[in-house]
Amino acid sequence: MTDIGCALLAGQVAAGARAIRWLDDQDPRGREVLREIFPHTGRAHLVGITGPPGAGKSTLVDALIGEQRARGRRVGVIAVDPSSPFTGGAILGDRVRMQRHALDEGVFVRSMGTRGQAGGLSRSTYDACLVLDAMGYDVVLVETVGVGQDEIDIVSLAHTTVIVMVPGLGDEVQAIKAGLLEVGDVFLLNKADRDGVEQVGRELELMLHLRGQDGEAAAWRPPLLRMVATRGEGTGAAVDALEAHAAHLRASGQYQRQAGLRSYHQFTATLREAATRRLLERALRHSATAALVADVHDLKVDPYSAAEALLAQTEL
Amino acid sequence: MTAKSSRPLRILLAKLGLDTHTVGITVVAHALREAGMEVIFAGLKQTPEMVVSAAIQEDVDVIGISSLSAGHTRSLPRLARLLREQGGADKLLIVGGVIPEEDQPLLEAAGVARIFTMGTDTREIARYLNDWWLARLARAEPATRTEPSAPPRQ
Repeated sequence: MTDIGCALLAGQVAAGARAIRWLDDQDPRGREVLREIFPHTGRAHLVGITGPPGAGKSTLVDALIGEQRARGRRVGVIAVDPSSPFTGGAILGDRVRMQRHALDEGVFVRSMGTRGQAGGLSRSTYDACLVLDAMGYDVVLVETVGVGQDEIDIVSLAHTTVIVMVPGLGDEVQAIKAGLLEVGDVFLLNKADRDGVEQVGRELELMLHLRGQDGEAAAWRPPLLRMVATRGEGTGAAVDALEAHAAHLRASGQYQRQAGLRSYHQFTATLREAATRRLLERALRHSATAALVADVHDLKVDPYSAAEALLAQTEL
Repeated sequence: MTAKSSRPLRILLAKLGLDTHTVGITVVAHALREAGMEVIFAGLKQTPEMVVSAAIQEDVDVIGISSLSAGHTRSLPRLARLLREQGGADKLLIVGGVIPEEDQPLLEAAGVARIFTMGTDTREIARYLNDWWLARLARAEPATRTEPSAPPRQ
């Protein structure tokens, strides 16, 4: 086993941090470490925290860390912020809200840029979760970029998806609710000391009630909890809800099934990427297929016909 | 680093102690983002211990400290020493702000690689970091696989 793999499994922070860097940078050494540690994963409770920009996600994560620590759990945090699509640069500022845990050895906070990935996560967020899991963190909180309606990759990554809502977002919250409402396991209504909280609370409760009536979803009724994260109010009940959901998943066998699905999801994504790359590399080496690719750029052929033609020529 | 890289430089920016002048660090953060770097903003009122812990968790390549009030002659050497002790000797430590000339030899001896004084063009900081990063990438074993690139326009 590699030195980094050994040190990481022993819980050494610098080793885990380096492994995540390799995975984020697509350095082949990252995949090697991942192969080594994979058998040691599957223990951590992965919790996704998502919601619109300005909902107070980072502050809420800070409050959840505090409560989890009080219960003796070790906590990993992955905070994702958007990278510039033009320069690839990013300003990752979520740590600022979690400073009080800076010297707590039971807390590991990592900031990641999306690096061109849509969906609210970075390509290597899943890998980073596996690393923190193997390092022995009991809970991994993944804070996504502020999402709109359908940037909800977190659902396929986390055991438990937390949707953070706030009063006073106006009409846009309607659209967000429609998209996010179907996928949340726990709903936290943050900034519950603000005007308008009663109205948003009533609307959400109604929509959750409607959702709860359709078949299988009835097994878990997503709770709606009020919080004031800046003052830590409601944090205990929120962590209770996360634990209740994990217990529900374990009791119904979904915990394990979800892990399998997550792995399969990553497997197909990796195949898709590698296969596309190889296919294109091969196509560009031969004049007939290279001409086809050029025709796409020149708008001489529609993209679907071109894709079909390339697949036919490569006998796929 | 104007072209997107699959290995962007990661830099932690922070302020130590009770220095709360934030304009400089904010301007630098945006300039480095424009230069294609991942800027982890650790915030204000940091201790050297907090900065080192964050730098290791984030596995940054560079630590940038903004200092616009006194205190750097004590806190920066302490930060550099902690960094070495905790296995972060490979990370570059730079500082910017109001650094009197007479303090500079002490800071350099303590392990500060570069000092950017008031009035420095942010492009100069980006260029310095970019050159340092490219040199480091060239020294490192060529381990990274090239990214799948879009087909060239004909």
